[in-house]
Amino acid sequence: MKLPWPLYLAWKQLFPSQKKVSFFSLLAVVGVALGVNVMIVVIAFMQGFQAKFRNDIIDAQGHGRVVPWKSSFNWQEKKKQIEEFPFIEQVMPYLQGQILLQKGDYHSIPFSMGIQPSSENRVFDINSFLAGGAMKMNAHDAEDITPIPTIDSLDDEVIFISTQVANRLGVRPPSVIRFYDLNHTQNKQASQVSISRLDPFVESGEWEVLFTSDQDFVIRELASDREFAAKVTDGPIDQGVGIPVFHPLINSESFKQGDLFKFHVFKGSIIEVFSPSMIEKAKADEMVPPREVRIGGIFEVPWQGFHTEALIGTMRFMQDMRGEEGRIDGFYIRAIDSVAKNERQLGKSCAELEDFLGEGWGVVPWFVENAWFFDLLKFEEYLMILIMVPIGLVAAFAIAIALMTSVLRKIREIGLLVAMGGSRISVGAVFCLQGFIIGLLGSILGCGFALLFMYFRDELMTFIVQKIAGEEGQAGVSQFYDFYSLEIYYPWESTESLATFLTFAFFAIMISTLAGLLPAWRATRLKPADALRSE
Amino acid sequence: MAKSFPFEDHKIDVLQEVDLRLLAGMSLSIRGDSGCGKTTLLNLLARLETGDCGEISWEEHKMDARAPCTSKEASLRASFIGVVYQSYYLIPELDVLENVLIAGKISGSYGQDTKDRARALLSKMGVGNKEKQIPTKLSGGERQRVAIARALINQPKLILADEPTGNLDERTGGEVMDLLLMSCAEEKAALILVTHNPIFAKATHESIFLKQGKLNNQ
Repeated sequence: MKLPWPLYLAWKQLFPSQKKVSFFSLLAVVGVALGVNVMIVVIAFMQGFQAKFRNDIIDAQGHGRVVPWKSSFNWQEKKKQIEEFPFIEQVMPYLQGQILLQKGDYHSIPFSMGIQPSSENRVFDINSFLAGGAMKMNAHDAEDITPIPTIDSLDDEVIFISTQVANRLGVRPPSVIRFYDLNHTQNKQASQVSISRLDPFVESGEWEVLFTSDQDFVIRELASDREFAAKVTDGPIDQGVGIPVFHPLINSESFKQGDLFKFHVFKGSIIEVFSPSMIEKAKADEMVPPREVRIGGIFEVPWQGFHTEALIGTMRFMQDMRGEEGRIDGFYIRAIDSVAKNERQLGKSCAELEDFLGEGWGVVPWFVENAWFFDLLKFEEYLMILIMVPIGLVAAFAIAIALMTSVLRKIREIGLLVAMGGSRISVGAVFCLQGFIIGLLGSILGCGFALLFMYFRDELMTFIVQKIAGEEGQAGVSQFYDFYSLEIYYPWESTESLATFLTFAFFAIMISTLAGLLPAWRATRLKPADALRSE
Repeated sequence: MAKSFPFEDHKIDVLQEVDLRLLAGMSLSIRGDSGCGKTTLLNLLARLETGDCGEISWEEHKMDARAPCTSKEASLRASFIGVVYQSYYLIPELDVLENVLIAGKISGSYGQDTKDRARALLSKMGVGNKEKQIPTKLSGGERQRVAIARALINQPKLILADEPTGNLDERTGGEVMDLLLMSCAEEKAALILVTHNPIFAKATHESIFLKQGKLNNQ
């Protein structure tokens, strides 16, 4: 291969013949690689955090909010108008406010939001919030098999509350435990009877399911002697509101006659609700009894910008509480994917919708509403880069010093190369190219390390967290630093990630090459005759 | 051609009115006391140093001795001149064969022909079996043989040898000198040999003495 001689000699000086690897080259390349690796990994995690927050915010706030500047308007008509706009996928009216909750001596005033409950609702991912807030009871000789509530449970008499509110009031939604027994409920191969739905109106009580044959069973409530006969092939047994939905689950060992499953159901808490409108009525000496509602579920919103003490009810519930029938505060919107994934496009579409709706309406995309937060994250990312760039420069200085030492050590060789016909620029290039090669190899290795780190991220984080916090502390640490759920993209999956890899690789190559420039300049300045005479 | 060096508040005239002509294939030895300017003369001839006045010709290519060497002249030097030094100056990171080839690469010769020629030269110098060795593993005589092979790789018209046997014992020095003279004759390269050894000086076609900056025929 016709390799230009300065490049050939630069390579040979870093990786001499008959020697597996030079100590200096190894240290320099690994140094650059570690620097590139750290920079890429830190920025990838920062971008992962941003992506996570972005998703959490969209899950908690939709892609934007349509806000009326005036209070009276026909919201059904407006909703229809917005729904017809091309980039809109779904529209959800909302009503907000603050109300007082009381349970015994405990009170809470959560941020409250009324929505239209619909299983088709995709503006807010309420079902995932409910899954996030699910709590398990520790029961003696029994296990908590409470099904996670869904948005379908929401009713004018039922509310969902955040974990913090539930803890403050000491309340919980309906729950159910299944007793371990001598049958085979602990046998993983055995068929089971579970409960697939527990609506908020279910009452406390003990239930049992007795198999009269391998296909037939009887569901019985012990206190009331209510009894239903059913077959395994019927699937989930739904007997209506207030009754748990029993669900036989066939496993490798089928049911047999005499199998008995016992359950204890605990009814959901009922709390009292007071609203500002009630206080106004009380001021006018009107007797207003507090409204009683059931706790249908406990939720956890991953986006901390959402109020930690929060309540979600139906829109009619909130209208009643505010005493403003037919009133809404605005709409949350969800955009179609092609628009939603591009913030600039979303911003443009929101502006078009605002123009379309005319005067008195504002459309605020999610990234404008939370701009402060992303500015903060961006600032943090830039700060990280600012901290890491000097680290890169330190590595560059180390390379420059090592190459400069090499120039001083090789003065007579430099003279010889010129005597053999090498131009001064070519001789200088030998040292500059050494910096380039160190940067190039370091960048490739650093990108490789970064990919490995990303691939084995969970294993590495588990190892580190276990070493720091021990087995028990792991859950606590990951609650605050949830590296596991971060979306980190490989460079072939996202242009942002590819840009990060290329930027830092280019930065490392540039810095290393620049580090080689000073020794190269020194080499070109040497007079060959003086170099050959030097001792 | 003349050359002086500044020293404190005056200058030392190292070379004065030097006039030298060497025909192709001829050999010339230069002797003189230490510090008399022998190496400076070689550097001037190779355009590694500038003179105070005068002209240098590499065959038909004429150059002002006062002007710094241009990149064109540097590339011409690669094929016109081969250099051999007392301290060999082999590159420690390259093996024997690569040390010879690097001179070829600098002159732009990368092909298999150059490689074959390098191997042939090394064999002729008696170090053909050491082509994969690194210089630090060789004896002084072997290193100088490699240096001669390197000087000859580009088939130069002129070899400048600056005390090539200075670091060698008498017997090895004699062997190396024989090889150098024989190779130059075979390659039809002119040779300027700087030496303190009168026997080696006698072996060249012509012998001159440098004293007080002037060349004297012997």
